[in-house]
Amino acid sequence: MRRYSQVSRHVPEYSELPFWKKAAPMELAYVAYGLLVLALVVASYILGAANLLPRDPQEMDLQLLMAPPGTAGHLLGTDFVGRDILSRLIVGIQAYFLPGLLAIAIALTLGTFFGVLAGYRGGRIDTAITYAANLIDSFPRLVLILLIVAAFKPDIYYIMAVVGLTNVPVLLSLIKGKIQFLKEKDFIEAAIAIGLKSRAIILKHILWYNCRTVLIIQATLGMAEAILIETSLSYLGFGVQEPTPSWGNMVQAGANYFMQGKFWPSTAPALAILITIMGFHLLGDGLNNILEGKRSS
Amino acid sequence: MKKLSSVLLIIWLFGFVMVLPQAKAKPKNDGNPDGGTLNYGEYGRPATMDPITSNDMISLRISELVFNGLVGIDEKQEIVPELAERAEISDDGLKYTFYLRKDVIWHPKEGEEPRQFTADDVIFTYNVMMHPKTITSLKVRFEFIESVTKIDDYTVEFRLKRPILNALAKFSFKIIPKHGLENGEFLKREDPFVHKPVATGPYMLRNITGDHEVILVANEDYFQGRPHINKFIAKPFADQNIMSQALMFNAIDMIVLVNPRDIPQIQGDKRFVLQPYNALSYSFFGYNIRNPLLADKRVRKAITYAVNRQEMLDSFFQGQGTIISGPFAPGSWAYNLDVEPLPYDPQKAIELLNEAGFVEGDDGIMEKDGEKLSLTLKVPIEKESEAVKRVVLAFKNYLGKIGVEIQGEFKEWLSWKEDVFLNHDFDVIFASWVFDDSADITSLFHSSEIGPWMNNFGAYTNQDIDGLIVESKLTLDHEKRRTIYRKLHSLLAEESPYTFLWTLTNYAAYHKRLRHVAIHPYKFFSFADEWYIPEQDQQ
Amino acid sequence: MKLASVRPVALLLSRELAITALLLLGVSLVVFVVLYLSPGDPFSLLLEGQMVTAVAREGMRQALGVPRAWYTQYLLWLGNMLQGNFGTSIRTGLPVLNEIVRVGINTLYLTIGSMLVTLLVAVPIALSSARRGTTLLNWPFTMFAYVVSALPVFWLGYIVIYIFMHTFGLFPILFRFSRDQELGWLYFLLPIFVLGIGNGTISEVVRFLREEMGRVLAEDYIRTARAKGASIWAHSFKEGFLIPITEIIASKIPFILGGAVVVEQVFNWPGMGRMAWQAAQDRDYPVIMGIAIAAAILVRFGTLLQRVVYIMVNPRSS
Repeated sequence: MRRYSQVSRHVPEYSELPFWKKAAPMELAYVAYGLLVLALVVASYILGAANLLPRDPQEMDLQLLMAPPGTAGHLLGTDFVGRDILSRLIVGIQAYFLPGLLAIAIALTLGTFFGVLAGYRGGRIDTAITYAANLIDSFPRLVLILLIVAAFKPDIYYIMAVVGLTNVPVLLSLIKGKIQFLKEKDFIEAAIAIGLKSRAIILKHILWYNCRTVLIIQATLGMAEAILIETSLSYLGFGVQEPTPSWGNMVQAGANYFMQGKFWPSTAPALAILITIMGFHLLGDGLNNILEGKRSS
Repeated sequence: MKKLSSVLLIIWLFGFVMVLPQAKAKPKNDGNPDGGTLNYGEYGRPATMDPITSNDMISLRISELVFNGLVGIDEKQEIVPELAERAEISDDGLKYTFYLRKDVIWHPKEGEEPRQFTADDVIFTYNVMMHPKTITSLKVRFEFIESVTKIDDYTVEFRLKRPILNALAKFSFKIIPKHGLENGEFLKREDPFVHKPVATGPYMLRNITGDHEVILVANEDYFQGRPHINKFIAKPFADQNIMSQALMFNAIDMIVLVNPRDIPQIQGDKRFVLQPYNALSYSFFGYNIRNPLLADKRVRKAITYAVNRQEMLDSFFQGQGTIISGPFAPGSWAYNLDVEPLPYDPQKAIELLNEAGFVEGDDGIMEKDGEKLSLTLKVPIEKESEAVKRVVLAFKNYLGKIGVEIQGEFKEWLSWKEDVFLNHDFDVIFASWVFDDSADITSLFHSSEIGPWMNNFGAYTNQDIDGLIVESKLTLDHEKRRTIYRKLHSLLAEESPYTFLWTLTNYAAYHKRLRHVAIHPYKFFSFADEWYIPEQDQQ
Repeated sequence: MKLASVRPVALLLSRELAITALLLLGVSLVVFVVLYLSPGDPFSLLLEGQMVTAVAREGMRQALGVPRAWYTQYLLWLGNMLQGNFGTSIRTGLPVLNEIVRVGINTLYLTIGSMLVTLLVAVPIALSSARRGTTLLNWPFTMFAYVVSALPVFWLGYIVIYIFMHTFGLFPILFRFSRDQELGWLYFLLPIFVLGIGNGTISEVVRFLREEMGRVLAEDYIRTARAKGASIWAHSFKEGFLIPITEIIASKIPFILGGAVVVEQVFNWPGMGRMAWQAAQDRDYPVIMGIAIAAAILVRFGTLLQRVVYIMVNPRSS
C-alpha cells in the first residue's frame, strides 16, 4: 500500500515558536557564552570538592617563588609564596559566587519589596521610601564600603551585603517606574476591575510578566559589579583576605611585580575577571533582547 | 610612616657615652661643593611637621633636617654637642647643666629680624612638651626630669628626679622657639607652627606644595656651616611600586626605605647605590600566655622549632637580615651573641608537643584532653603588606606540618590594636618592635606592664625576669647592665614568650651622584648637612 | 530656553534644594553613627608611641574639646557646620573646609574629565547601534566597550603607566614639569583616561543610550520627520539623547567617585578619594564627615542637573 506523505508540513506561526527559535543567532551566542561562564563556575566547585585541581591551591613552595608560566608542574607559574596560580585561578571564582548571590538576593528582595510598596501604594510611603533610596544613592559606594569595612570586618559577606544594599535604590526605582508605567496604561486598574486579588496582581502580573527581564538583568549586572568592587577593595587591602584565593587579591599581589616587567601573575586573574564579567554582561544583554522579543539588528 | 608592615612602638632612648667633649663650630670648608637638589620619596605623607606632635617616621625624618637638640649623635653613635657647647653633670647625677652656643640664630621669618637662640627657648620647649594640653607622645620619655631653671641667657639647668643611666643622650630632643607658637603655653595641632615650623637646623621649611611635596631649603646661617645641598624635597607616594619606578626613571633621587622585592632590580642597576643601615627593630610572633594551651613553654618552643626562619629569610628577603635568638636587635649592645637561635627541627617540635601531653588527633591536629591545638593569629592589614602576608602564610604552613592549626585573621589597624592591646582577644600576633637606640624591654616583659593598652600584651609573667629587669634599671654601671641584659636574653630565649624572628637589613637607595652619604639608623637624616652633589651633576 | 520652562525650573530648584538639605543631614548622621560604632578612635592614632591609657585619652579628649556623648558630638558638629566651620582634621590640624575644597577640585577635574571620556567612547557606539543595529563596523567597538568595562581599574592604570613610561622613556611628575619633559603634560590626561575607561560604566552607558535612542527612533514622530526629510537626529536629540545621557551620568557619579579612590592612589593624585581613604583608617571624624557631605553634594548636583534638563525639555511634565 502506497503511503502518501503529507503535502506540506505544518508550518508554525511565528508567535508559536519557542523563544529560542525566535531569537537572532547573536543573542543566542551571547546567552550561550554567559551560560558557559556559569558552567565554569559550577565546574570550579566540582573540581575543588573532588580534589581534581592540578595542585593544592594552598600548597606553598618557598623555593619556587614567582616562577614564570611553563615551569614544571605549574602551568601558569607560581605566586609570591610559591602557590600554583592555575589552581588558585580555578578556585578563585568561588570567592565571588556565593557572596555575589547574597548581594543580588538582598538587592532584589529589598528592591522589589520597597519598589512595589512605593509604586503600588504611593503617597507618603512613596515619599519616605524615595527619601531613603536617595539617601543611599548619595553615598559614593566605595567610600561607604570602605568606612564599614575599615571599621568592622573585611569579611566578603559583609561587603557584599553592603553592595546589595547600595543596589536597592536602583532596583527600587526600576520597579517603581514599571508600576507607574503600568498605571498610566490603566493596566492595574483593569486588573482590579476584573477582580484579581492584590497579591496575584503584584506577584504574577507585575513582577513576573513585566519586570522579570529587568530583574534578571540586574542580577547579572549585580554579579559583575560584585567582582569589580572586590577587586578595587583588594587593591586597597580590604578585599578577600589571605589565604582564601580571590581573583581580586591575586591581581593585587601580582601587580606589585608589574612594573618590573613580570606581567603574568596579575594578568592571568585579570583576564579571568574579564572573561567572567563579560559573560555576565552578555548573558544579561542576550536574555534581555530575547525575552523582550527584540532583535539587535 | 606608622604603617611599615609592622607595629611601631617607640621605646626609651638609651645612649652610649656619658660625658660631652668641648664643642667647636665646624665651618663647612671640607672642600665639597655647594648646590643641587635632592628629591626623596616617602611612602605616605607626614601629618604635622613639628617635632612635638608628630609621631610618624616621615615627620620625624623631616624634623631631623629642620630642628636641633641640645646634643646630637655622630656616626660612631657617640654623643656630640649640638645646641649646647658643653654640659656638666653633678656628682650625684641629679643636675645637668648645659652651656648653650651663642651663635645660633632661628630661621628668619618673612620680613622679620632673625632672633637669637637662648635659654628661654629651651625652657619653653620643655614646658610646652610637658603641658597637659599638648598632645604628644613625648611626655612619657621625659618624666624623669623634675624641673628646669634658667641660670642665664645661655645656661640651663635640669634637675632629675633620680639618677638615670646615660641621661645625656636623652637631651637630644628638638628645641622649638619661644616666639614660634601662636599660643604661648601649649601646642595645638591647629597652630600654624605645626605646618610652618621655625627652627635652627640645617634646612628650613620653604613651603608645602599642592600635591603635598615638602620643600626644604638650606639654612645659610647654620651654626655648623651651611649644608651643601641647596634643597631637599620630600615627595609622598601612595603606591610603593610607583615610587620604585620613580627612582628608576629619575623622578626622585633617593628612597628612604626600599621594599625588599625591589632590591634585586635596584641592585642590578649601576646608577644607584643601595646602602644598608641598621634599624634597631625586630619581627616576632607573640603569644597570649593567658591561653592555657600557650602557657606551657614547651608548646611555644615547639612552635619556634617548627618554623624554618632561615628559609623564610632567604626566600622572602633574599637573606638580607639576621635571625635573632632573643629580645634585642643584633646591632644592639645588649644582644647576647652566645645564645644561638633554635634550629629548624620539626621532629623536635613534635617531640616537645608530645612531651607536653599533645597527641595527634584523627584530623592531623594535635590535641590534649580533647582540646585541639588550634590558634588564632591576628595580623593588621595594610595596603602594602606582601612581606607580612608571606611570613604569615609560611608560618601557617610550617605549623600545619606539625599538627598545629592556625587560623589567620586580618584586621584593620585600629581594630587590631584594640583586639590585641585592649581586649586581649588573640592567641598569636605577628608584629615588629622598633627601638630608638638600645633596648629597654621593661614594658614588654615585666609583669607590672600587664593591662589595657600596656605593652606586655601577652601577660607574660616570670619572677626571675621581673627581678632581673628591676636590677637592670637600678644599676648605674654600664657594664653591669650589659651583663644583666645578656642574662635576660638567654632566659627569654629559653622561655620563648615570643618566637623571635629576625632583624631585616634596611636599605636606602640613592643615585650615585649623591656623595658622602652617612645614614643614621633611626633618624636617617642626622648627617644630611654633609651630603653633597658634585658640580657637574647638579641640576 | 523657552519662557514656559522658567517657572517650572525655579520651582524645581527650590524643591530640590530643600530635599538636598534633608539628604545631607541624613548622610551626615549615617556616617557619624557608623564611625561612632566602629572600634578604635582617633586618640589611639595621636598617642601612637605611648601607652594609650584611659587617663591619656581623657586628657586628649579634653584637649581636643570633644564632648562625651555621641549625640552631643554630632549636634556640635552640625552646629559648626551650619556656620561654615567644618572643624579641623584630627590628624593634621588643618581646617577641613579648605582641605576639602583643595582636593575636591582635583577630584572634580578627574570626575568630569573621566565622564567626558566615557561619553566620548560610549556615545558614538550607542548611536550607531541604535540607528543601524549591530553592524560589522560597530560590533568590535561595542565588544571593546564591554571588555574594557570588565577590567580592574587599578590594573588598567598600571598598564597605562607602564606603557607611558616605556614609550616616552620618562616618568611623569604630577603638577610639575621639571627637567625637559615636553610631553609631561600628557600625564594630566592619564588618570582621566584610565578612570573614564575603567570605571565599569561604559557598557551600561552604551546599553542604556542605545535602548533609549532606539526606542525614540521607533516612535511615530521620528517616522514623520524622516518622511518629511528632516534630520532625525535633531528631532530625537532631546528625548533620545539629552535625557538619557543626563540620567545615566547622574546615576553613575557615585560609581565614578568610587573609582576615583583607586585611581588617585595609583597616580598619586591629591584628591578627595585618597583623603577619604586615609581619614577612614585614621578615624578622622571631621574629615570624613566633610568628605561625605562634599560627595553627597556632588551626587545631588548631578541629579539636579538631570531634573533641570528634563523639565526644560518637557516643561509640562513637572
